[in-house]
Amino acid sequence: MIRRVALFLGSLLVVAAIWELYKLIGPEAGGTVFGARLLPRAQDSAMPHVWDMLSRFGDPERRGSDRANWRVVLAAAWFSFRLALAGFAIGTLLGMGLAMVMARFKVVERGLLPYLVMSQTVPLIALAPLVATWGGKVQVGEWVWPRWMSAAVLGAFLAFFPVAVGALRGFASAPAASVELMRSYAATWRATFLKLSFPASVPYLVPALKLAATSSVIGVVVAEISTALRGGIGRLIVEYAQQSTGDPTKLFTAIFGAAALGLLMAGLVSCFEYVMMRNRPRPEEDERALDTIRREALA
Amino acid sequence: MSEHRAVVVDGVSKVFNRGTPRQVEALVDIDLTVGGGEFVSLIGPSGCGKSTLLRLVANLIEPSTGEVLVAGKDAPRARLDQEYGMAFQQAGLFDWRSVARNVELPLELKGWDGSRRRRRALEMLQLVKLTDFADHKPWQLSGGMQQRVAIARALAAHPRLLLMDEPFGALDEMTREHMQAELLRICAETETSVVFVTHSIPEAVYLSDRVVVMSPRPGRITEIIDVDLGPSRTVETREDASYFKKITEVREALRAGEDDRETEAVVAEERSSR
Repeated sequence: MIRRVALFLGSLLVVAAIWELYKLIGPEAGGTVFGARLLPRAQDSAMPHVWDMLSRFGDPERRGSDRANWRVVLAAAWFSFRLALAGFAIGTLLGMGLAMVMARFKVVERGLLPYLVMSQTVPLIALAPLVATWGGKVQVGEWVWPRWMSAAVLGAFLAFFPVAVGALRGFASAPAASVELMRSYAATWRATFLKLSFPASVPYLVPALKLAATSSVIGVVVAEISTALRGGIGRLIVEYAQQSTGDPTKLFTAIFGAAALGLLMAGLVSCFEYVMMRNRPRPEEDERALDTIRREALA
Repeated sequence: MSEHRAVVVDGVSKVFNRGTPRQVEALVDIDLTVGGGEFVSLIGPSGCGKSTLLRLVANLIEPSTGEVLVAGKDAPRARLDQEYGMAFQQAGLFDWRSVARNVELPLELKGWDGSRRRRRALEMLQLVKLTDFADHKPWQLSGGMQQRVAIARALAAHPRLLLMDEPFGALDEMTREHMQAELLRICAETETSVVFVTHSIPEAVYLSDRVVVMSPRPGRITEIIDVDLGPSRTVETREDASYFKKITEVREALRAGEDDRETEAVVAEERSSR
């Protein structure tokens, strides 16, 4: 664990060092390689120094404001994180539900799966305004569709797909002999699902959820931008980008905020992975464990 | 041996993919009775339908014609009542459950409460001499140990019939002989009848009261050989002359089945060329 944290911090330092190195030797106004403009401009307005970007977090957000920039970025990241989490939750429930129905009824799988695949080819920026418009018309009694819900739904739209496909594969991954064993016990579909198919799907579910977690972040950030939802990190990136000629380092603080958001989400899924996989064989431990036990058995 | 009959297979045939170009006659006219406490092996080359026959008894598939009775009941009823336990070539233990919880699985499905399940599981593990490993995970165990857990699981609900499909096929020879002795001991202790699919002649002879020799295309029983090596079989049995005699007998019966088929093939060829 400590090793992994150290590796992560080390890799951050390496990236920062490469950044600074390029600033040192790269062409100020950008450069061409074989006639193509490939090399980015190394001047401070395009690639600020690492320390300038970091120190920008401590400065006031804008001239005359008493809120430090990091507070604004953190608040925005937190806002988007909650949306992404909501999207992730909705997407996971939806994906699992769909996978269960598809696993239960082969007809549904054949009928539905192509549409699920097709759904993912619809560009999010085309869908986002539509969802926002539809959502604006939803009203159940006193309850009115909040604007942030559209962003969460779009996060869910990206998140459900890997979950549905991963879970479907996972449910089917139980060995035929195990399925037959459950049949020999005259187990119901429900019992077979709970005791066999679902636990067997976990190794497939974990990577699917990782993908879903990061997808929901992307969905929410893109949705914030294309539905002009205020308060989140997506909106902040657009705002700061507009101000970047006068204050280039500010944009990078928002980008760091977005990256931190993604990391937090991935970390959350890693915790889940740890809990779900702690009872499973890990390939490298397999043989060692086996040796120990053989020795115990012989003694 | 009691009068009660564990399995009755009466005039059973099984055709797969009937009416399609891939139609296969897996079994033809099978009659077989397994008495209470009896150990019967099914032996034959691949494709002779021995596993199919076992799965018919287990009601994992339905016969095309004929009738299967298990513990005096229709096969479907017997499956619903968990009248038999089953073990396959792969132990098929659930990785995410401890050894004891694997043994508890059939009891859970019967709706037993936790403490009763746990007690029975530990009893079963004692029977297969794995008490110390109750809380280990299956993947921490060797292949032979895993197979013993699978047997414990198959016996957990105290079925009077055990159906085994090459359960020792994936084990090395030494472990295999050890497991065979253990199986005989367990069956004697629990008075369980066994239908045992194998393609090892020595295994079939060592274990069985009767060896059912089958031949393929279509799958049928060519001979049933009584193995009267006495009730208690030991390491010495494996070196006994009568044991070798039986092995030879089974081998010849298997070969005869092969020859029959070749003769038939030749006859059929002659007929078609005429």
